[in-house]
Amino acid sequence: MFSGPPPSDYFAIFGIEKKLALDVEDLQRRFYANSREWHPDRHARAGAAQLAYAEAASATLNDAWRVLRDPVARAEYVLKGEGFNISEQRGRDVPPELLEEVFDLNMVLEEARNGDAAAKAEVARALAKFERILSEIDSARDGIFVAYDAAPGRDALSELRSLLNRRKYLQNLVRDARAALV
Amino acid sequence: MAYSDKVVDHYNNPRNVGSMDKARTDVGTGMVGAPECGDVMKLQIQVNTETGVIEDAKFKTFGCGSAIASSSLATEWLKGKTVDEALDIKNTDIVNELSLPPVKIHCSVLAEDAIKAAINDYRTKQGAPVAAETVAH
Repeated sequence: MFSGPPPSDYFAIFGIEKKLALDVEDLQRRFYANSREWHPDRHARAGAAQLAYAEAASATLNDAWRVLRDPVARAEYVLKGEGFNISEQRGRDVPPELLEEVFDLNMVLEEARNGDAAAKAEVARALAKFERILSEIDSARDGIFVAYDAAPGRDALSELRSLLNRRKYLQNLVRDARAALV
Repeated sequence: MAYSDKVVDHYNNPRNVGSMDKARTDVGTGMVGAPECGDVMKLQIQVNTETGVIEDAKFKTFGCGSAIASSSLATEWLKGKTVDEALDIKNTDIVNELSLPPVKIHCSVLAEDAIKAAINDYRTKQGAPVAAETVAH
């Protein structure tokens, strides 16, 4: 097993199939087991080739764990591997009605930052609403995960791409709104 | 990242910030957003319905310095142009004028999309056929 470099693919380094819906507890067990097995200290006296393999495998495993444990990062990883790059997308992923609300929230955020108490209350109301939209997006995302794993296809990935774009857009705003309320 | 002097100037002294009554039939409103950064941009034009000349333009952008500068510059360029001439404004013109670096080109794309969206909105209100789809590329 120590001939050639270790797998660079994040799913392969865990010894699992590419899936969007992952059991994170199972992933964690595999992470601990593989980390122990490939810990460089255990291979220090086994020769340069084996030590190099263990070091490379440990590094990839750490990166893979950080990415695959998080559903959004995992989805971005799969999308990137399939050629769905975020920078090729344009504003059409954000529906016009939502844009209006985003704009209005930005307006009250600006007033709230200037110390307007009424605006602050309005930000709190809008924040609750946008957090609800975010959790709806996450449910939809999990639905696409399951559907894609059962029948992988470009349409599902394209839908996932625009869903994640919308999520990213709202997340920045929600972060700003939370900060304004502190 | 270093902004060009022109970007800094538009950022510190944005031209034509404000809004118009979007219910007016001689006003076109374009609202666009960029998923990469969470920017949102509103750009409005007020058109002389007799001559087709854009008499006033306003914007309000929540976003980075380049997005603000791109939309500020766009409103300056729009004023005095006919609606048809305004459609010729390309994001590359904005990139060149502001010396935007490659990572900020999407800000100029956003401004071009906002111009087209505002013109489409105006034309729809005037009952004219809409030329091109706003942000389909």
